[in-house]
Amino acid sequence: MRQMVTAAFLVLCASAMGTSKPITKVQLPCESRYQDLSPTGTQLVVHCKDSSVRVVNVPEGTEQHVFSADQHANSVVYSQDGSWLAVGFDDGTVELFSSPGATSSKRWKASSRRIDMMYFFPDAKSLVVGPVDSPGQVWEIANTPTLRATLPFEFGGLIACAVSPDRKLLVAAGDDTVLRWYDTATWKKRRENSDFLLETFALTFTPDGKHVLAGGADARITVLDAATAKQLRQFPPETGSSVAAINVLGDKQHAASVYFDDAGEKPPHAMLWDIASVKSAALQSDAPLTCGAVVGGKLWVCSADGKTLTMSQYE
Amino acid sequence: MHFTRRELLERCAAFGAITLATSLPLSALATDWDEAEKKKQPTPFCELGPFYKREAPHTSVMRAAGDSGMPLTIAGGVYNTRGEIIPNAKVEIWQTDNDGHYDVEGYRYRAVLEPGAKGSYAIESVMPGHYPGRVCQHVHYLITAPGHKPLITQLYFATDPVFDGNPEKNFTRDPLITSRELVRPVVIKGDPKQIIAAVNFDLVMETL
Repeated sequence: MRQMVTAAFLVLCASAMGTSKPITKVQLPCESRYQDLSPTGTQLVVHCKDSSVRVVNVPEGTEQHVFSADQHANSVVYSQDGSWLAVGFDDGTVELFSSPGATSSKRWKASSRRIDMMYFFPDAKSLVVGPVDSPGQVWEIANTPTLRATLPFEFGGLIACAVSPDRKLLVAAGDDTVLRWYDTATWKKRRENSDFLLETFALTFTPDGKHVLAGGADARITVLDAATAKQLRQFPPETGSSVAAINVLGDKQHAASVYFDDAGEKPPHAMLWDIASVKSAALQSDAPLTCGAVVGGKLWVCSADGKTLTMSQYE
Repeated sequence: MHFTRRELLERCAAFGAITLATSLPLSALATDWDEAEKKKQPTPFCELGPFYKREAPHTSVMRAAGDSGMPLTIAGGVYNTRGEIIPNAKVEIWQTDNDGHYDVEGYRYRAVLEPGAKGSYAIESVMPGHYPGRVCQHVHYLITAPGHKPLITQLYFATDPVFDGNPEKNFTRDPLITSRELVRPVVIKGDPKQIIAAVNFDLVMETL
């Protein structure tokens, strides 16, 4: 379940608020329930049912790198410009790849615990690492990876985090359900929000840096004032579901959110929101959504039929 | 007849059953032996997982009249690694209902227990169902106490069909089970009209 949440794989689709057009089809190297699409739309990390993880070049349809099942790659994340791919392993190792060629660049042992989540700073010079049941870690990665800060919790580990567009604030969500704001210059905690009774699985700043959108097991997106950490308003809940991912689209007015079924019985579903009016549309798809990303400000989604993956763009 | 550890050592030494290769007096040896036997290994960690919810009710009864599922009682003590009771611990427990559903809107099958001076806890519940995202039936635990590392773990049941009757061999079928110790034997009690499953699960915390 945790992997499903942190993979943030399905990032959306829309119909009522837009139209979709197929972009390309890709032959997957294996049966796969979900993938991670790079923010450039040119690379795909395929999570295979046999527990291997395979990096595929989308335009060429070629396999660039394989993590065999016994390597236990657990979590992956792309930098926001798509130039880096970070892979977290069960043994606490983190490996960085220059994503265009999928060549390994840096590898280090960040923890003795499984790496459950990672997050790149907007400039891709720092990486937040979340080992299970351990404090979050902030690593500078421009040169030799150096631990710059740890993000402690009352108990448990890091579930989600986000950094403001100006890179001055980091907000972290922990297993203890508290959101904590850190000054990234001093790494002192500035504020916290203890209003949430359940875990927060997804965090993102709005492009102007004024608000934070938070979503989790309470089934709804909450808008927080980035300056005060106070709750401003809430979107209507998707009862019976948890928010797994939130992405603001390139028009800066809409956000797409992905929900997983709390009972674990239905496939994930997605919604598109007008942030100002809080109007929403459920995003329909003929086939189960298996991945997505905001590529060039547009929403791209994937659906897999056997080993054939279709990518579509929503206008 | 019951001998204290010291008496036993004295008798054994008198009859030549043991040879002491130390300068320590028998009384000190007996004390050290007692201490060594009281020592406990920390309860293995098992991740928190989603659906933890703060501010659960303080209750020892999670099961309500008419709830489906086999009644379950879980009991145990809260200790430090020296085997001493931790009197001021807080034990938070949550699980699915018998159908495998977590209650995220309310607090069904969620409880906070304070073992108090006795250091023991007991809770009435039902056997949890199989949550679709997980392999095994399980009960979540979060234990906190001043001066101790928070303990996050999960309890599993040796009767879970997943283990095919052999948890020793098959406990790794659930990749989240970090230790065989977390799979506990189940004692079936009661009469045919009211069968109850009973599990003992002691919790051992590490000091900070």
